[in-house]
Amino acid sequence: MNSKNGLSRRSFLKTAAVATAAVAAGPFSTLRSFAASREDELNILCWEGYNTENVLGPFRKAFKGVTVKAESGTDDPSMINKLRAGETKIWDLINVNQCWARDMLWPEKLIKPLNRARFEPYIEKMMKWFYSPETGINPFALSPDGKELLGMMQRFGPFSFVINTNKISATTAEDQGFPMFLDPALKGRYGILAYDNWNVMHLCITAGLNPFTQLNADQLAKFEETAEKVFEGAKMISSDLVQLNQALINGEIDLYFTGGTYTSSPARHEGRLEVLGISPKSGPIDGKGALQWFEITSLVNNPNLSPRAEDFLEFVQRPEICKAVAFAEGTYNPVSQMSNPEVFKLFSKEDLVAIQWDTLEEEMARSADYQICPNNDELTDIYNKVKRKRV
Amino acid sequence: MSEAPASAFASPPHARVLLRDASGGVRVVWIEPAIEAVRQQSAFGEISSRAFGMASSFPFLALMLAGFVVPLLCVCAFSLMPPRTFSLAQIPTLANYRIIFEQGYLLSLSKSVALALATVGILLVVCYPLAFALAKVFRSGAALVTYAIASSLFVSENIRLFGWVIGLMKGGVLAGISRQLGLEVESWLYNVPVIIFGMVYVYLPFMLFPLALGLQMVPEQVREAAFDLGASRWQVFRMIDVPLSMPGIVIGSVLVFVLSLGAIAEAKILGGQKVVTIAAEIETAFTFGQNWPLGSALATMLIGITAVLVFALLRKIDFERFLGRRLEAEP
Repeated sequence: MNSKNGLSRRSFLKTAAVATAAVAAGPFSTLRSFAASREDELNILCWEGYNTENVLGPFRKAFKGVTVKAESGTDDPSMINKLRAGETKIWDLINVNQCWARDMLWPEKLIKPLNRARFEPYIEKMMKWFYSPETGINPFALSPDGKELLGMMQRFGPFSFVINTNKISATTAEDQGFPMFLDPALKGRYGILAYDNWNVMHLCITAGLNPFTQLNADQLAKFEETAEKVFEGAKMISSDLVQLNQALINGEIDLYFTGGTYTSSPARHEGRLEVLGISPKSGPIDGKGALQWFEITSLVNNPNLSPRAEDFLEFVQRPEICKAVAFAEGTYNPVSQMSNPEVFKLFSKEDLVAIQWDTLEEEMARSADYQICPNNDELTDIYNKVKRKRV
Repeated sequence: MSEAPASAFASPPHARVLLRDASGGVRVVWIEPAIEAVRQQSAFGEISSRAFGMASSFPFLALMLAGFVVPLLCVCAFSLMPPRTFSLAQIPTLANYRIIFEQGYLLSLSKSVALALATVGILLVVCYPLAFALAKVFRSGAALVTYAIASSLFVSENIRLFGWVIGLMKGGVLAGISRQLGLEVESWLYNVPVIIFGMVYVYLPFMLFPLALGLQMVPEQVREAAFDLGASRWQVFRMIDVPLSMPGIVIGSVLVFVLSLGAIAEAKILGGQKVVTIAAEIETAFTFGQNWPLGSALATMLIGITAVLVFALLRKIDFERFLGRRLEAEP
């Protein structure tokens, strides 16, 4: 009766039988493929940037037939939670900030070491903060005993605070550093970027404390007092960097705590050069009052790891892919491969202005590594207590 | 004594049933064979239909068990694990609940409850007239209004709230219009009233539609009778409309209260985190706090409060009557 559209009762039954068989066999075929090599599959858990079409599209072309799934996280702890919750069976690569790989993923056996012979030649060509002939590979990319290579480094940048230079001069901000947020004259004129684990460290610096040393009761009390003052003076808190840049540009606020190239670059790339990331000249971390981060991509301790995982790490070293990772959707950042002239020439003058290239070396020299604080739990509890008492 | 109908002898034999009446006398009733067959099979039929019902409910029960009960039990169990640990195989402790009381988490809870109550109160006042119009006045236009309001649910909450940010921020749409009118308006954002505004805006459909449903239950004849007997508008509202539409009021209020209690985006996006809600605390504990047991304890506490409230209120509603009356009220 359906001969016109070619669907007879017999053909329908045949199709239905085939479909049913396929559905029934589905789980088994999946199991079969799971048990076999996953060379045609790659799953990446990462910060935004590595999952853009500018990166994944060329990878799919270079490795035809590979299905790539990339999911971006919004913070390191949430991504690590996924692995802790048993998703090591799903993901092949994880991309987090430096301290989380060495201090959390590695001890909890959530990641695997890389093949050093394959990847060290790439690292040796990276910028000086990641490899130097004297000190070797940046220790945050290595296991605590220095034997294993935990991942490949790529995006990085200073991260302290951001000002509107039409309202506050860069020199004043660099000279005064974080304690300027305690200035009564700035009360109600700044916002807080709710990257809470960063804020804990920066509040320590504001209080004149080194967050990477063990703090005593008096120092914790000083931290609490400082946190209360900073929250009391804040006009807004947001976890959205665009919202803070918008507030900075339209005059709602004059500066925000905390931020850096990562947060200011989208506004600068739009020509709003008054939005400027600041790295204070001095502070309590062995004289440093600023912080910096870099991302490290590691192999997940997947019992059936895709062989494409290491291929991907090698693939993202290509100059055009380095540029795509650096200038991904949302934020723009320098990458460790910019010491390679082939990579550097891909950045336009505007791109370099957006990432504050002219002051990058100076800012990195003023910045300490992002680490997990020894008193992180107590500081986090105090921070949350102060935050909820804000009104 | 009853006798078999004359026609009964012409057709296949009828069954004879003896019935005992109230005075103890016996009465013979002739019934159709088909009915008798059903009567005889009824006991078996009842059992088989019950078994069929049980079997039919299995997929639903399995889904509820795997997707709702087990995760809920996991959350409850995690709330009893030592703080900042990630395994369920540990000695249970009430430490997380003690932390909740000691570290001021009740403050966040009370703020969330206050925001939710304010939202429910405002929405009741705002939605009741509109629901009345939908149920009693608009007639054919009601569908259009319903679609217009419901269509907002198809757009992500975050996108709608960011739309309001553009409207309300310093130098935004509202400030621009005000300037054109000669008024200088500072930013409307980052305060408590704007958080409540955001919640009222987002949860309006969840109050409006149950209210309209409840008001449809109020029979027009009863209202007309009250007016005929000299009742004022206020008396009709107070003594007829409100009591008879109470199921709609309760369901709308419970829905909005529960959703508002778990709200997170309004305080973050519009309020600049002026208020840290309990949902934000739970998110923080699970993410950067890396304290699953504390997050679980906060979640268990919130679920407990919500469950007690919802069950207490919903026990007062006869759902069959609510839905049945709605059907009766339809033309």
